[in-house]
Amino acid sequence: MQRELRLDGVGRRYGVRGPWVLRGVDLGVPPGVLVRVEGANGTGKSTLLRLLAGIDAPTEGRVTGRPRTAYVPERFPPALPFTAARYLTHLGTVHGLSRRAAARAAGQWLERLGAAGYADTRLSRLSKGSSQKVAVAQALLAEPELLVLDEAWTGLDTDARGELERAVAERTAAGGAVVFVDHDPRRLAGTADAVYTVRDGALHRRTAPEPVAAGPRVVVRVQGPPGAVLPADARRTAASVEETGPGSHTLAVPASHSDVLLRTLLTARPPWHVVSVHAPEDRR
Amino acid sequence: MTALLRYQAALLLRSQRWLPPVVLYAAALGIGVQGGQPVLDSLGWAAAMLLPVAAWLVRICVTGEPPAARGCVSAARGPARAHLAAVLVALAAATVLGAAATVVVALISDPVGTGRGTRVPLLPAGGAGLLAALVCALLGTAVGALTAWPVLRSPGRAVPALLLAALLALVASGSPARAAVSGLVTGSKSGTVTLPLLPLAVAALVAIAAVAAACALSSRRSSA
Repeated sequence: MQRELRLDGVGRRYGVRGPWVLRGVDLGVPPGVLVRVEGANGTGKSTLLRLLAGIDAPTEGRVTGRPRTAYVPERFPPALPFTAARYLTHLGTVHGLSRRAAARAAGQWLERLGAAGYADTRLSRLSKGSSQKVAVAQALLAEPELLVLDEAWTGLDTDARGELERAVAERTAAGGAVVFVDHDPRRLAGTADAVYTVRDGALHRRTAPEPVAAGPRVVVRVQGPPGAVLPADARRTAASVEETGPGSHTLAVPASHSDVLLRTLLTARPPWHVVSVHAPEDRR
Repeated sequence: MTALLRYQAALLLRSQRWLPPVVLYAAALGIGVQGGQPVLDSLGWAAAMLLPVAAWLVRICVTGEPPAARGCVSAARGPARAHLAAVLVALAAATVLGAAATVVVALISDPVGTGRGTRVPLLPAGGAGLLAALVCALLGTAVGALTAWPVLRSPGRAVPALLLAALLALVASGSPARAAVSGLVTGSKSGTVTLPLLPLAVAALVAIAAVAAACALSSRRSSA
């Protein structure tokens, strides 16, 4: 079983006499959770993420229980002498895959993110958005136990943004932890297990409910086998569950998590029957 | 670690940033070594010139990645190991370069001592030259590791520091590089070959300490 990543009394400053960027941070990131980190510009969000990703060591305090980690930076510079596919294959092996598995995963992720056409393009010739797709693919291809996203959505096109949200849902459903920062409050809205705010160099857990602007939803009507109980994973993924008849349920789920919900139901033993999937408006 | 080394080696080879130091080394050999000269003198020159080249190669390898790309690799394997891989690739490149130069120099030089009075056996001379080159590659690696990120961050200070440290490592008394090179040169005068084993051990220890310090700092300094 994967351990929990823990930060205990962690502080970070740059230079011997530099001001403390962060101090007294206590944070646990257990497997399978989605953590959102908020805060104004320059408050130390990126420093926190670098500590979580293991790129920076804390100046004081302890970090324990490091899982297999992947990190997506905010801006990915294209100044590397590789093609996209070759870079991803190298990074896949660095993440612990065999070369063959890394090459295969590289192709699959470029395709999922809509960048398959750039596989043989040199990184230095990619647009900003396309190099960001390479940065995202790099982090996802080895199915990390901890995924750290520092405004990874910035610069991606709409399709790739949706794909990254679904990839995050897949990671957490598979037992991986994901920590992310994004300026868009609708990003993965209503799906985070914990929200933290970085303010004045300290970390505060936000307990107030999220603002009303929940993200897009999908409504799924399902019919279970006689006497079956809705799988716990499905209940946790869904934003709301309504039992409409014996064994028949209507579930509302964040759009990013609809694939994960359907997969849970269809692969349950015995499997559930999906009656319909539709947007909340056209409820028929 | 193998994957990291392969990645760093590919980064060095494909970037073609290895070209300037290699050209510089070839030019230095062209100036200091001519066919038919006493073999140990020429090997001493070849080894000495390798030291700044090795330091430069380390600088190229540890600054080859933009900070964001280094972050991706550091998250996967830890910053210290990522840094170590870059330094090791540079050391390997310097060693290959030094070995190639030693072979060429040994082949084109005359197996005689200074003054051409005594004969110098070619194979032991080549062996001593190889070890001296390794001493200089190790010491150059130490110099490069201590004068690049994460120890010194601004190029304005790092490059002069690298040049000065490389020069000091060659001429300061007590330096293993100086001991190895002067061992070759005095051996040429007397016509005897001594293997620089003590300088090699000292250079290895210095390199290990310097690289360990740089790796330990790699997660503690800011990335830029």
